[in-house]
Amino acid sequence: MHGPDIQWYVVLSAILFATGALGVLLRRNPLIILLSVEIMLNAANLLLIAMSRLHGGEDGQIFAISVMAVAASEVVVGLGLIVAMGRRQVDLDVDKLRTLRG
Amino acid sequence: MTTAAWVCLLLPLASAAVITVCGTLIPRRAAAYISTLSTFGAFAAAAVAFAEMWSKSPGHRAATTTSWTWLSAGPYHFGFTLLVDQLSIVMMLIVSGVGSLIVAYSVGYMDGEDEERRFFAYMSTFLFSMLLLVEGGNLLLLLAGWGMVGLSSYLLIGYYQERASAIAAAKKAFVMNAFGDATMALALFLLIQHTGALGYASVFAASPHGGAVANLIALGLLGGAVAKSAQLPLHTWLPDAMEGPTPVSALIHAATMVTAGVYLIVRCHPLFEKAYVIEDLAAGLGAATLLMAGLIALVQTDIKRVIAYSTMSQIGYMFVGAGLGAYPNAMFHLMTHAFFKALLFLAAGIAIHAVVGEQDIRKLAGVGKLMPFTKWVFLIGSLALVGIFPFAGFFSKDSIISSALDHGWYGDVIYAACLVGAFLTGIYAFRLFFIVFTGEPSAFTREHFHRHHGQEGPTSMLWTVGTLGVLSVIGGLLQFAPLWHPLTDWLAPVAAPIVEPTNAEEWITSAVAIAVGLAGIAVAWAIYGARRVAAPRALPALEKKFYWDELYDIVWYRTSDLLARGLYAFVELPLIGGSLAAVGVVFGTGSRELSLAQNGLVRSYALALASGLAVLTVVFLAVR
Repeated sequence: MHGPDIQWYVVLSAILFATGALGVLLRRNPLIILLSVEIMLNAANLLLIAMSRLHGGEDGQIFAISVMAVAASEVVVGLGLIVAMGRRQVDLDVDKLRTLRG
Repeated sequence: MTTAAWVCLLLPLASAAVITVCGTLIPRRAAAYISTLSTFGAFAAAAVAFAEMWSKSPGHRAATTTSWTWLSAGPYHFGFTLLVDQLSIVMMLIVSGVGSLIVAYSVGYMDGEDEERRFFAYMSTFLFSMLLLVEGGNLLLLLAGWGMVGLSSYLLIGYYQERASAIAAAKKAFVMNAFGDATMALALFLLIQHTGALGYASVFAASPHGGAVANLIALGLLGGAVAKSAQLPLHTWLPDAMEGPTPVSALIHAATMVTAGVYLIVRCHPLFEKAYVIEDLAAGLGAATLLMAGLIALVQTDIKRVIAYSTMSQIGYMFVGAGLGAYPNAMFHLMTHAFFKALLFLAAGIAIHAVVGEQDIRKLAGVGKLMPFTKWVFLIGSLALVGIFPFAGFFSKDSIISSALDHGWYGDVIYAACLVGAFLTGIYAFRLFFIVFTGEPSAFTREHFHRHHGQEGPTSMLWTVGTLGVLSVIGGLLQFAPLWHPLTDWLAPVAAPIVEPTNAEEWITSAVAIAVGLAGIAVAWAIYGARRVAAPRALPALEKKFYWDELYDIVWYRTSDLLARGLYAFVELPLIGGSLAAVGVVFGTGSRELSLAQNGLVRSYALALASGLAVLTVVFLAVR
């Protein structure tokens, strides 16, 4: 087995996930939030591939590819929304989009 | 023999189905003829079955036939079984014979009605139900027929559905009959519990002897019989049932259906003999009914209601006979009563038909002068009803009365009641005859009387009434207890009598009964015929029919009405209404409070998600 131990991957994945989660919670720009979501997804992908390697199976890699496909689709929708907001001269600030208030 | 029994049963059903399915495709007349032909066919089949039975030796006359297993429940199997024996063949002949005459009569009576087809479909359904009742080979089929005759009776009483009183009468009949059906069903449950079967033979062999269970079973069956046969205390529906067309009154509420209770007691006599208290109760109820109905009939002014009360009274005699154990005599009276009571109703129907449907005897007064034929057949019917020699009622009624002498002091009391009843019968029957058929026609009659093509009524009505008149004269000669008794011998294997009055008692009773009957006629003649004596003022209790309707109104309607109002005010409004309102308030307030959590801030939702995930993670790690 070459490369670092599995712990390194887990820790890196956790750091990436926490970074992404904090970004989603703290930032107000939807573009950044989208970016943070991508980071979280990739943290998960990293863990999937690492575990797949550890156990010697291909399931995790297949899963990671599916996640990438879904993430790509999601980015399309998200970016489309953001571009539409920009065209309408709406402030790019999620705290101001409160019309769904109960 | 069994084939003929099936044909007899299914022909009326087929005719009802054909009339219903064809609907307006066939002319109204055709419906009438289909129904008439099917009932005559049923009678012919019954006669064939009778002839086949006749040719066999007495020990081998009963036969059962099962077409398929009708109902299976666990270990219990009830077949669609017909039982053709000496008793059911007698009933089949009476039902289909008198029934076919009455249906033929209806062809003329119902001519020109808007919904003739519906009438004849109902009539055929009734005949099928009644034949199912008498031919059914187990108590379950009997109960099915029992319920279906109740339904047909309901439909036919309410035939004039635009008349509110007819609908009310139909409902009343149905509810009171349903009460009897329910007690009968309970008795059947007890029988299943204690014998595990409902076939007649197995039930009679295995049912408990004496004790509370036997009494309860007999009481339940008696409840059904009392409701169907309009005996005390479930009798109030029968007079109201006269709202139906006259042929219906003749067929269902005089000749056949209301006598089903007598058939039930005779058929199930082993069960009643095991509970002699209940059997005595049946005789006592019969005696009470015949007295009360006779008294009420004295003051009624509606021609059909007078005859209806006389029906109740005559069925009272049959109950006396069946309750005392004189089963063949009860069946004999059932037969002759079917003849002369159908005759009375149909003859009254001719008069009513000729005078634009009027039923009040004060308005019909003197119609006999214009209708000599009707007058004479009505006289025959009345004489048979009072029991004057040699008309049919004489032979059958007197044999019932004399059998009371063989039953100790209880029998003596009933004997006296029966004789008083015979006296009352003489008065009310001939009060009706003298008022309606003798004397000068009233102004109303003169104005409204119309002849039918030069006759008193359509031909189909005249010949059927004539046939019944002949039967009412000669029908009784079938059996004269002291001298010859073929009916008793015929029924002996199925229902042998348990009382045997001596010949001397029979002769004396006949003489006394004729004497009191003639005395009653004499009283009626003095008051209503010759008008020598002023008519006494009617007691209010009689005009109000002994306040039975009022009693039921107070006991059942008012109490339940009061109970319902009380429950509404004290239970429904505070408890049910209040709790429902509280549920509404809780959910309204709760959802309003909860909606505050939806503040529209996407980041707060994300925070909730993340913290939820964190909590879950901690929980899972901790559990591990």
